[in-house]
Amino acid sequence: MDAVERENADRQKRWAKEQKVGEGTYAVVYRGREVATGRRIAIKKIKVGQFKDGLDMSAIREVKYLRELKHQNVIELLDVFSSKTNLNLVLEFLDSDLEMIIKDRSLVFLPADIKSWMAMTFRGLEFCHRNHILHRDLKPNNLLIASDGQLKLADFGLARDFADPGHKMTCQVITRWYRPPELLLNSRYYGSNVDIWSVGCIFAELMLRTPYLAGDSDINQLDTIFRALGTPTEQEWPGHTKLPNWHQPSTTYPKTPLRDLFTAASADTLSLLGKCLVYEPRKRISALEALNHPYFFAIPYPTHPSKLPRCAAQLASRAAEEAEGGDIDKMSTGPGVKAAEPNNRKRKLTSPEEFRVRSIARKLDFTKQANSP
Amino acid sequence: MSNRPGYGGWLQGKTVRKGGASSSHSNTRSSTPHVQSTSSTIFGGGIKDPSGRVTEYSSMEDQCPVCKSDRYLNPKLRLLVSSCYHKMCESCIDRLFTLGPAPCPICSKVLRKLAFQPQTFEDLEVEKEVAIRRRLAKEFNKRREDFDDLKEYNDYLQEVEDIAFNLINNIDVPQTEAKIANYKAANAALIALNIQREEAYALALREQEDLDRREREARAAQLVQEAEQERLEREREQNELITKLETSQKDAKKLVAKARASQQKRLSARTTEKSSVLGGMGFGMDYAKLLKARTNKAKTSIPDEPHVPLQDDWYGYEDLYVLRPSYDDIFSEAVRKDREGIMRAGGYMVEEAWNRALRSAVAGLELEPLVGLPLEPSSEPTIDTAGDVVMASV
Repeated sequence: MDAVERENADRQKRWAKEQKVGEGTYAVVYRGREVATGRRIAIKKIKVGQFKDGLDMSAIREVKYLRELKHQNVIELLDVFSSKTNLNLVLEFLDSDLEMIIKDRSLVFLPADIKSWMAMTFRGLEFCHRNHILHRDLKPNNLLIASDGQLKLADFGLARDFADPGHKMTCQVITRWYRPPELLLNSRYYGSNVDIWSVGCIFAELMLRTPYLAGDSDINQLDTIFRALGTPTEQEWPGHTKLPNWHQPSTTYPKTPLRDLFTAASADTLSLLGKCLVYEPRKRISALEALNHPYFFAIPYPTHPSKLPRCAAQLASRAAEEAEGGDIDKMSTGPGVKAAEPNNRKRKLTSPEEFRVRSIARKLDFTKQANSP
Repeated sequence: MSNRPGYGGWLQGKTVRKGGASSSHSNTRSSTPHVQSTSSTIFGGGIKDPSGRVTEYSSMEDQCPVCKSDRYLNPKLRLLVSSCYHKMCESCIDRLFTLGPAPCPICSKVLRKLAFQPQTFEDLEVEKEVAIRRRLAKEFNKRREDFDDLKEYNDYLQEVEDIAFNLINNIDVPQTEAKIANYKAANAALIALNIQREEAYALALREQEDLDRREREARAAQLVQEAEQERLEREREQNELITKLETSQKDAKKLVAKARASQQKRLSARTTEKSSVLGGMGFGMDYAKLLKARTNKAKTSIPDEPHVPLQDDWYGYEDLYVLRPSYDDIFSEAVRKDREGIMRAGGYMVEEAWNRALRSAVAGLELEPLVGLPLEPSSEPTIDTAGDVVMASV
């Protein structure tokens, strides 16, 4: 056992894995605790075995950038360790996201709440941009909410650093509804302004409580944008007709003032929203400029994070957690736990035989349950 | 067209494409195919919404069951529904029924051309049920007041429901129709009376809406007036303050503070007045209650603080360098010349790259150099304070 292995084992011992909370395309997320303090954490186990070409790109991106970023409004990567062939990222545990909150119809948003979320989003984004990192996948689903109400940017699986002059970047990034027009036109040279467009869409979504620019397909998305904001003119966005994917649209939509849709919004609000959704990327407001926009300084002041609306589901899960929290033994080996202790790992490695026996035992358990009442 | 999601169009009585080719129902906002009639006949009837218009259902998968023509072959395809609730396209209707009544090609019930109506609902069962219920509601319009006790009323409702069920499911249709006719004859006077009552109620509702609208307008006018008054008052105070500052011997700071305090007082008085007015109207009860609950909670907990753009001092040493508008930089030449203009259109900014290079160059300048540390290399990898393994220290 060399030094690196020993170090890895040491790190692994610091974190206890609990039940599975979610599964994505390339990772499984578990809930867990820091053994020493009992602090709640999330462990993102990257599935390596399934990818023939080695570690998934997004995992590399996530580690590479999150390792560097420490900010109140960016999810914190606490540790990275490997178990067998898997890579594990230890992240801070955040139990809800903005999408859940937007969809929860029992919640009422005050203008001040939206202001507060926007300020936190821009702060997090400004931090990424000042460190020369593009997030490239901003959407309500990736804005997580901590238990104290702080909003944090998460999922840096598509992030990258600013490209050097003349270097191409991929345009297949950002979830469709939040993707800016220049990416839809397959521009390979873009900058931090792509994230601003996404934030603008999120801003609108917070007010509308439904996705603002929801296109059915990549082609339809551009049409949706033009329908909402008017077809851009050469004057408004110089050079856009030369972008690779540009086709002269059959219909030109007129400009409709944002006021028509956002009837209740203040002039400041619409001014900031309008500046985020400018067609010409270079004219789009930067995160730093946005933070100094009069919208944020106007009355009402942004809601204090601790008072922001939160999901009923989130509150319930927290309550349950706290209720049972007292008697959870941090070292106990529940069904989901593995890789907590060395001997535990060994048992996993022994043979597939044992695994089969265990699964049979579980099956019997189920039938018994079904028959008993 | 409005940018609002799907529901707006339906309420406004526009032609709305429901279902259709796309899978995501909540987000279909693609342009709606306009139904263009190819027939000379104008088909009336159909399910009218409160504004008296008929919303027509059409989808990309429409196909005429008679001639098998579909929307792909014939974009102008318009399907209509017969009184026996079978669909067919306009050209089939023209072909089959122009020469007078003919049997339906599907169920062979004898139909006339005018028995066809536009379709509103995707499901024809729903279409039929809505039509039947609308018809019944016109005649079976007794109210609770028309009965002595609840039981009788419930029996009546039960009977109406039975009739509706029979008609919808084609059970004993002749008997049911006879029943309806009997009822109609027996209750003609009461039916007419109830229709009158309905109309009176609708009228009252409209008047109420009118009243509300006028009230809102008055309130808006008042707000404008108030703002004007506020402006005048502020101006007056400003002038007063200036004259006072000119003439009085008192400390200028005190005078300004006093003026500001009085202004603040006036403002807060106005806002409380306004909020008490707002509380009573406008939003639904639930909304008002929720808001009230939130404001109550807000009072007891931490107050909201004014916005601070950044909560750290990152830009504190921005003065270590100044970004010039342009640099002599061979690497970015292509971008700056940008023959096709695509880098500008795409939003790539050379400034961001320059800024990055400059910041990287100056970022470490303020760090104290490491002096006085032992220089002998340690034999084993060590772990630094941040928990990172130091593989080699030089």
